[in-house]
Amino acid sequence: MSAAMEMDSHCCGPGYASPAEAIKAPREKLLYTVALYTGTGIQKPDYLATLDADPDSPTYSQVIHRLEMPGIGDELHHTGWNACSSCHDDASMSRQYLLLPGVRSSNIHVVDTATDPRAPRLHKVIDGDEIKEKTNLSGPHTVHCLGSEIIISFLGDARGEAPGGYLHLDKDFEIVGRWENSMGEIPFGYDFWYQPRHNVMISSEWAAPNTFMPGFDLEDVGHLKYGRRLHVWDFDKRVPVQTMYLGEDGLLPLEVKFHHDPDSTHGFCCAALSSNIIHFWQGDDGFWEWEKVVDVENELHPEWPIPLPGVMSALLVSMDDRFLYVNNWLHGDMRQYDITDPHHPRLTGQVWMGGLLGKAPEVNGVGIAGGPQMFQLSLDGRRLYVTTSLFSTWDNQFYPDIRTKGGVMVMIDCDPENGGMEINEDFMVDFGTEPNGPSRCHETRYPGGDCTSDIWL
Amino acid sequence: MRTITIANRAGATYVVEADRPLLDTLSELGVDLPYGCRYGGCITCAAKVTAGQVDQEEQVALNNRQIANGYAVLCVARPLTDCILEVGVDSHDTLYRNPFLDPLAPHELKADIAAPKEM
Repeated sequence: MSAAMEMDSHCCGPGYASPAEAIKAPREKLLYTVALYTGTGIQKPDYLATLDADPDSPTYSQVIHRLEMPGIGDELHHTGWNACSSCHDDASMSRQYLLLPGVRSSNIHVVDTATDPRAPRLHKVIDGDEIKEKTNLSGPHTVHCLGSEIIISFLGDARGEAPGGYLHLDKDFEIVGRWENSMGEIPFGYDFWYQPRHNVMISSEWAAPNTFMPGFDLEDVGHLKYGRRLHVWDFDKRVPVQTMYLGEDGLLPLEVKFHHDPDSTHGFCCAALSSNIIHFWQGDDGFWEWEKVVDVENELHPEWPIPLPGVMSALLVSMDDRFLYVNNWLHGDMRQYDITDPHHPRLTGQVWMGGLLGKAPEVNGVGIAGGPQMFQLSLDGRRLYVTTSLFSTWDNQFYPDIRTKGGVMVMIDCDPENGGMEINEDFMVDFGTEPNGPSRCHETRYPGGDCTSDIWL
Repeated sequence: MRTITIANRAGATYVVEADRPLLDTLSELGVDLPYGCRYGGCITCAAKVTAGQVDQEEQVALNNRQIANGYAVLCVARPLTDCILEVGVDSHDTLYRNPFLDPLAPHELKADIAAPKEM
C-alpha cells in the first residue's frame, strides 16, 4: 500500500487536515515526472516516468516505469490531481487520478496512479479537438481541483490567440464548459492559485500560445506580446476584480503561490524575464497590494551583446511557509529564501547546476544542458527535486546541447531548521540515457500530494 | 499534383495533392514527421524548403528571419510548386537562436510587428 493510500485511509477524504499534518506525512518513495520527446527529433510520445525515491530500494534514483501517451507532439508540461486536501472531508473522493495536459495538442490525459502506484495507467483522454469545439480553448497549463471538480487554465482560444480562459471539468472528467463568467480586461493567462477562506484567486500572464510556442523572441516583449500583470479574482463570482500592473518589474509573471496557511493572504510570483520575486497581499482596505522583494541582476556574458537575465521561471513555498525556492534557468542557480517576514526575504541557500554562465557544467559527473527549471519539495522540506527543461522550443534556443544530453533530475538537500542547500551526491536521474533516446523531464509530483498540489478550505 | 523530395531522407520522392497541407499528405504516404498544434502556431513541424515554393499564409509561428531562412510549418503549408525539403530537427540548424546573443532586426520580427526593411 502506498504512503498516499495509507494517509487517505486514516481520514475520510484525500490529503491532510492541515499543512502541519502534511509535514508529518511519510517520506515520498515514488515521484512522477513528465518526460518529453516533443521537439527533440525523436518520434515517440511524451510519457509519465515513475522514479524510485526510496534510498533503501535497489532501484533508487532510477526510472522504474514509463507510461507513454497515445500520440506524439503533446508537450506534457504541468500536471495536477483530481482531488487534494480541499476534499479532505469528503469520503467519496480520493487522490487517484493525475491530469496531464499537452500544451501543443490540448489533449488532457487522465492517468490512474492508485491501482498500481508504481505503474500508472491511462484512464481517459479528453481530446483537444473536443475541448476546442466545446469551449474555444487551447494551450492548457495549470490544473487545480476545487472541491470535487477541476479547473485548468488555458492560454489561448482555439486558434492560439490570447487570453484563453478556464476549462471546467466535473469529477468524471466530462467537460462542463468554461469556468469563468468573464475574463474582464485580462490580456493573457498562465498560472493561478486560490485561497478559499478569502474568496480569492490570483492569476498571472505569460503570452498567447502563438507567441510563446514557437520560441522566445525578446523583441516581442517590447511589443507588449508578453504579460506584466497579476489579476485578482472574486472566486465565487468567477470574475476578475482587480489588476496589479507590475510593469518593467514584472515582465513575464509566471508562477503564483499563496502561503499554504489558508488564513494567510500573502503570496508570491516570479517574474521570469525581470527575474524578480513579487510579493502580494491583501491590504486592510480590502485592496490587494504588491511589492518587489528580490531583484536578480542580469549578468554580462563576454560574447553576447545583451545582458543575460536569470529567467526566474518557477517558485515554490515550503509547507511550513518559511522558505521560498526560486530558480534562475539561464544563470543556473537555485535559491532558497527565508520568508518568515514576507516583506523582507533573506537569501539562505544557493546552489549551481548547469546554466549559461558556466558555473556548474557538471553535477555528480553528468554534463548538464539546461538549468534548474521545475522543482518539487518534500512535505517535510528536506528534499528538493529539480529538473532542467523549460519548454521544448525554448530549450532548443538556449540549450541546443539538450538534444543529445536530455534532461536530468537532481536532488538538493535542504535544511529546514537553519536554512541552506546542498546537492545530494547519491541521487541523479539522467534522462539522457532513456531507452528511446534523450528525453526532457519537467514537473514532478508525489503520490500523496506535494508542496504545489494542495489547497485547504 | 506536386512532387516533393525529402533531401535528408535519402532523397525520397512523393507525389502529393497541391491543395492540402504537406504534413497531412506526406504522413498519409508513410513519412514519419514531427508535429504539435496542427494549426500553424507552434513550429514543431518546421521544415526547410531548399527549392520550390509553398503557401503558408495561415502560419503564425515563424518570424521573418525564419521565413527568410527557408522555413515552413508543414501542418499548414501547401506546395505551390514541386519542392525539395529538409524535415525534422535535423533541418533546424538556423531555426532557433539565442535572442541575447543574436537579436532580430526590426524587419526580421513576426509579420504583425515587423518594420519595413530599410534599403
